[in-house]
Amino acid sequence: MKFEVQLDSITGTTKHVVDLEKTGSSYKVLLDGEPVDADVILAAPNAVSVILNGAAFDIHIAPTLDGTYKLQTGPHEFRADVRDPRAWRGKKAGALEAEGRQQLIAPMPGKVIRLLVSAGDQVEAGQGILVIEAMKMQNELRSPKTGKLERLHAKEGQAVNAGDILAWIE
Amino acid sequence: MRILRACHEMAIPAVCVYSEVDRTALHVRLAEEAYLIGPAASRESYLRIDKLIDVAKRSGCDAVHPGYGFLAENPALPRACSDAGITFIGPSAETMEIMGSKTAGKQLARRAEVPTVPGTDDPNENPDEVQSLARAMGYPVVLKAVAGGGGKGMRVVPEDAAFASAWRDASSEALNAFGDLRVFLEKYLDSPRHIEIQIFADSHGRVVSLGERECSIQRRHQKVIEEAPSTVVTPELRRKMGEAAVRLARAGGYVNAGTVEFLVDANLNFYFLEVNTRLQVEHPVTEQVTGLDLVKLQIAIAAGHRLPFAWETISPRGHAMEVRLYAEDPDNNFFPCPGKIIARRIATGPGIRLDEGVYRGWTVPMEYDPLLSKLIAWGNSREETIARLRRALDEYTITGIRTNVSLFRRILAEPEFLKGEIHTRWLDQLLSRPRPPAVTPRAGTEAAAAIAAAYWESIQSNSMEAPSAETASRWKQEGRRQQVDRQP
Repeated sequence: MKFEVQLDSITGTTKHVVDLEKTGSSYKVLLDGEPVDADVILAAPNAVSVILNGAAFDIHIAPTLDGTYKLQTGPHEFRADVRDPRAWRGKKAGALEAEGRQQLIAPMPGKVIRLLVSAGDQVEAGQGILVIEAMKMQNELRSPKTGKLERLHAKEGQAVNAGDILAWIE
Repeated sequence: MRILRACHEMAIPAVCVYSEVDRTALHVRLAEEAYLIGPAASRESYLRIDKLIDVAKRSGCDAVHPGYGFLAENPALPRACSDAGITFIGPSAETMEIMGSKTAGKQLARRAEVPTVPGTDDPNENPDEVQSLARAMGYPVVLKAVAGGGGKGMRVVPEDAAFASAWRDASSEALNAFGDLRVFLEKYLDSPRHIEIQIFADSHGRVVSLGERECSIQRRHQKVIEEAPSTVVTPELRRKMGEAAVRLARAGGYVNAGTVEFLVDANLNFYFLEVNTRLQVEHPVTEQVTGLDLVKLQIAIAAGHRLPFAWETISPRGHAMEVRLYAEDPDNNFFPCPGKIIARRIATGPGIRLDEGVYRGWTVPMEYDPLLSKLIAWGNSREETIARLRRALDEYTITGIRTNVSLFRRILAEPEFLKGEIHTRWLDQLLSRPRPPAVTPRAGTEAAAAIAAAYWESIQSNSMEAPSAETASRWKQEGRRQQVDRQP
């Protein structure tokens, strides 16, 4: 089976094509068209062990809400967007982020205690939009992109639930 | 969970109370008895003394341990316990009231000749008088408006020559902002350390010090890393601080475990800060270097037993360090990230202790402090302890929620931290600086990640069965059994 894998990490984005062919109890692995000496097993729930040319990697994998996977190995983290070119699935939401109209979503239940901007304001990516208090901690929610704050649904003192849309940034 | 473990080691059946969201907590599953006391909101459950006492009576408890959150420092709980004829594992309500209060505690400290941050007791509006007091005290000092707050009406005076202008600024600011020009004088502690002394007192008049814990690594005044011994505390200073803490405990009639917190300046002068009248979150650090079990000791003392040692005999062995692992996102302003734990791998091995009650499949409740685990390392030296802690942090993996593990990797790599050159504002200053460049993964990491992701996708889509789910074939099992059973 052939997969297109896009890996994002703090050091950048890379794309690979991985071809897995099952031979008995193991796999023949082609990475970007080249055969590699790789042994890959599911070692524990959500934990994949890869031995690549003798080098061992223990990789923990968790699904995320946008359909991509979060991978962790030691201190390193990757976000992986995996596609099967033969499948009929469309592009996943993760690939569209940071462009177009963005929502500001409450990451957890809490109370809006301060609005830092008002509707119609021009905001920078990373600029604070409002402050939510949750579990006695005050936390600033920031704009995911540079643009105009089109709508602001939150009011000061309002209780919000996780997933509530608080603002739109165009 | 910590308390439950001590009870089980002492063969004491344990009763615990829980709120609706804590039904799945590990201590609720493992206790002998568990009683629901209300909904998630703590003021309707964990803060309801009447419900606690009711459960204690119904289940026939001999004693109540308050843990270290919620009601642990509320004098109303020991009072209610004694009214109900139940032993409270901790100091008396009267002691808690006096020592828990910052002002009363400071007065008690002065009476017990324990140094407090030097300063004027009464506000003053005469600059000449204040200046001569400042000279007597020694610079740097800080002028604080009586009515001040939020940094307004406050001036640090580094030297005598700067006094006049600082006075002018502070008093005019105070007058404009608060209409009150009276000013306090206090010694200014530049980059102090937070060092605390663990004390223990039995009900027969013996009070001991179990040495210090250095808790200077704080974020927004919350402790993040604790260690013992402190890199700056000499045996001489340990003895002096220990004696001061013991004097204070005696003066307050203290019984059971407590912590006396001090600020320590660059010249190793120490000043009383406050008393915590309970077991501290960071108590394992002291346990690791003393070999004592503080919770079992607490229970024994509450049962009327004597402390089995004199404080002169307690000196730290090796070095211990604790990190507090939280479900929070260090890349997003430490926003709490509760949620379900999908998978995890714990850290074990030489010198590692993991105090926690979390497990795979458990959902971290969003209603309470998202502390997951306390990871404690012990080693023969500070260097070995840090190496073990780093190794354990690399082993510790939790999937499904975000944790602050990366914060500790960063701190444990800082040269100043490694040299022990830390103070209470050090971490906040570190976090305001840009992050160091990320460590480049070793060769092959990315390729391995790509292969793992593709493999994961393939077993998710069920097009190939997961090999780990296979059980050995019956034929093979039978063959192996026959091999084992074969006569020699």
